[in-house]
Amino acid sequence: MNCLICGDAFQPVPTWGKLFLYEKESSTCNRCFSKFTKSDTTIDFSDFQGTHYEGAVDAVTALYSYNEAMKSYLHQYKFLQDVALAQVFAKTLHETFEGKEGIVVPIPMHPEKLVQRTFAQVDELLNSAGIPFQHLLTKTATSEQGKKTRKERLEASPLFEVRASVEAKNYILYDDIYTTGATIHHAAKLLKDVGATRVEAITLIKG
Amino acid sequence: MDKQLQQFLTGRNWLREHTPFPREAIDAHIESGHIHLKPGIQKDENQALFGQLKKYFCNRCHNTTQHLFHTFHCARCNQNCTYCRHCIRMGRVSSCSELLLWKGDHARGANAHEFAWSGRLTPLQQKASEELLSSVQQNKSHLLHAVCGAGKTELLFPSIFRCLEQGKRVCVAAPRTDVILELFSRFQKVFPKTTIHALYGGAPDQEGFAELILTTTHQLYRFEQAFDVIFVDEADAFPYYADETLQRAVKKAAKQDAGIHYVTATPTKSLQTTNQSVLSRRYHGHDLPVPRFDSLWGYARQLNKGKVPLKLQQWIEEKTKTNTPFLVFLPTIEMLENFPGDLPRVHAEHPDRKELVMHLREKKIPGLLTTTILERGITIENVHVAVVGAEQKIFTSSALIQISGRVGRSFQYPDGDIVFFHHGISREMDKAQAAIEGWNR
Repeated sequence: MNCLICGDAFQPVPTWGKLFLYEKESSTCNRCFSKFTKSDTTIDFSDFQGTHYEGAVDAVTALYSYNEAMKSYLHQYKFLQDVALAQVFAKTLHETFEGKEGIVVPIPMHPEKLVQRTFAQVDELLNSAGIPFQHLLTKTATSEQGKKTRKERLEASPLFEVRASVEAKNYILYDDIYTTGATIHHAAKLLKDVGATRVEAITLIKG
Repeated sequence: MDKQLQQFLTGRNWLREHTPFPREAIDAHIESGHIHLKPGIQKDENQALFGQLKKYFCNRCHNTTQHLFHTFHCARCNQNCTYCRHCIRMGRVSSCSELLLWKGDHARGANAHEFAWSGRLTPLQQKASEELLSSVQQNKSHLLHAVCGAGKTELLFPSIFRCLEQGKRVCVAAPRTDVILELFSRFQKVFPKTTIHALYGGAPDQEGFAELILTTTHQLYRFEQAFDVIFVDEADAFPYYADETLQRAVKKAAKQDAGIHYVTATPTKSLQTTNQSVLSRRYHGHDLPVPRFDSLWGYARQLNKGKVPLKLQQWIEEKTKTNTPFLVFLPTIEMLENFPGDLPRVHAEHPDRKELVMHLREKKIPGLLTTTILERGITIENVHVAVVGAEQKIFTSSALIQISGRVGRSFQYPDGDIVFFHHGISREMDKAQAAIEGWNR
């Protein structure tokens, strides 16, 4: 096996889980993977208290913190469009979603942006982890979140539209990065407004 | 026909999405037949005995290693699309991307060249330089085998000047960006009227048609049938001989009848050239420092336990006390990162590599731990060198010769300590020592 990040050959550790095919093979060497650090900050919603977004999101889990290794990972994955790197977190994502009840809804990309990038980075991460999902939202806003201030993000007009019927069930929103939380709150509020019982969010990174 | 477009694309093999020209201009030139389009990835499907065998080929970097191709569902072409991970840092090339090749007349340089160099060659350098020039004129490939610190760059000047005068397009390729930047400032002084471009990852856009191109070997992926003459510096350097595509890139960038010449201290057998000259003396005329062997039994286990082996500890302390800058080469990044103590350390992924080397030169730090990344191209006055684990596979004889070549490069300090700490002497160590002794004879 060659590590997807550094390209060096490595020996995957044999385990019983892999032998009986229920554990996913890791696609990176230990040295590269250990550079990603698990996020230990708890996410507070105090920014949203008193706004009409209060209570829209019931819980957020962010898996990794945004460090140098993650920065260069995202650069190669999103900017250089190295789709293969979606496999790096397949195993962790698979474990995170295991035991969670609800319909997984990825945060969508704008269709024009999608053609430009040639792939939806959020969907590909879920695909590689073998997690089934439904596209219930469509992105309507074309402007990029990254270029706005926190205040602008919160006051922005709705970023999404609901495109399929939502039932009184649990939903799990999934996005690659949680920065100010505006995206997740926009989406969660929309789902709640049309009848979702509980909306939880999982993101790969806490920005 | 757009002149700027012609100047830019002549000899290039360029990803369409990355051109600095408007779409309409490119389209018009495609229609008029000046630009030829090539798909980014080629697929050969051979009907094998069991089902189909797919084989991908990258039309830019000529990569054929199959595990470096990845297929996904592409939202642009709306079908399964394959891209090459090998050259992805230069912009992704996939099945649905197009490469531009200039098929019209090649651009020509319009400069009258001037040779402004007043330095003098030693008699040995002079002889090698003349031999190289005669090979270049006969268009026969030449290998210049020169020891580390022999003053190789100067030898190239007369040959390059002659080629430029004849209206040829010349390329000097070297493995690392640091080397290209250093060569760039030197060449600009020596050839003040020539348009010279320096190409490396992250280089700025440069205007006009360059008669002389200085480039990292990697950037040659973006050329095809471009040069009349190519000089490959440090032809044995790690990425070059380990990565076959780089060797193919040199051949691809050369025109069919072009001469390819190599300059190196440690030629490998795979470099086949018609002519050869050897330069076995340093420019200052002193002997090369010969490495000595010293046993360091079980160093790996001790380092694992967080202890520096005694002999190595003493060596480091002695150098620190006498205020001699030193380099310690380690075989793996892991060993480097886990090395006890707080000595500064550098490896390929280290962001401030250049600064740390500068600090060592200025004696702000006593010494530096490093992987083979610093094996060549750096000059530090009066540096002493230790190799830990010299018997390990990564230290080939050519790596060891290059490492030994860091010592005693200046007029003032033509000698210095070079020691191979080992857990058993390897054949490669013997080879390196014998080669250095051979040159001194």
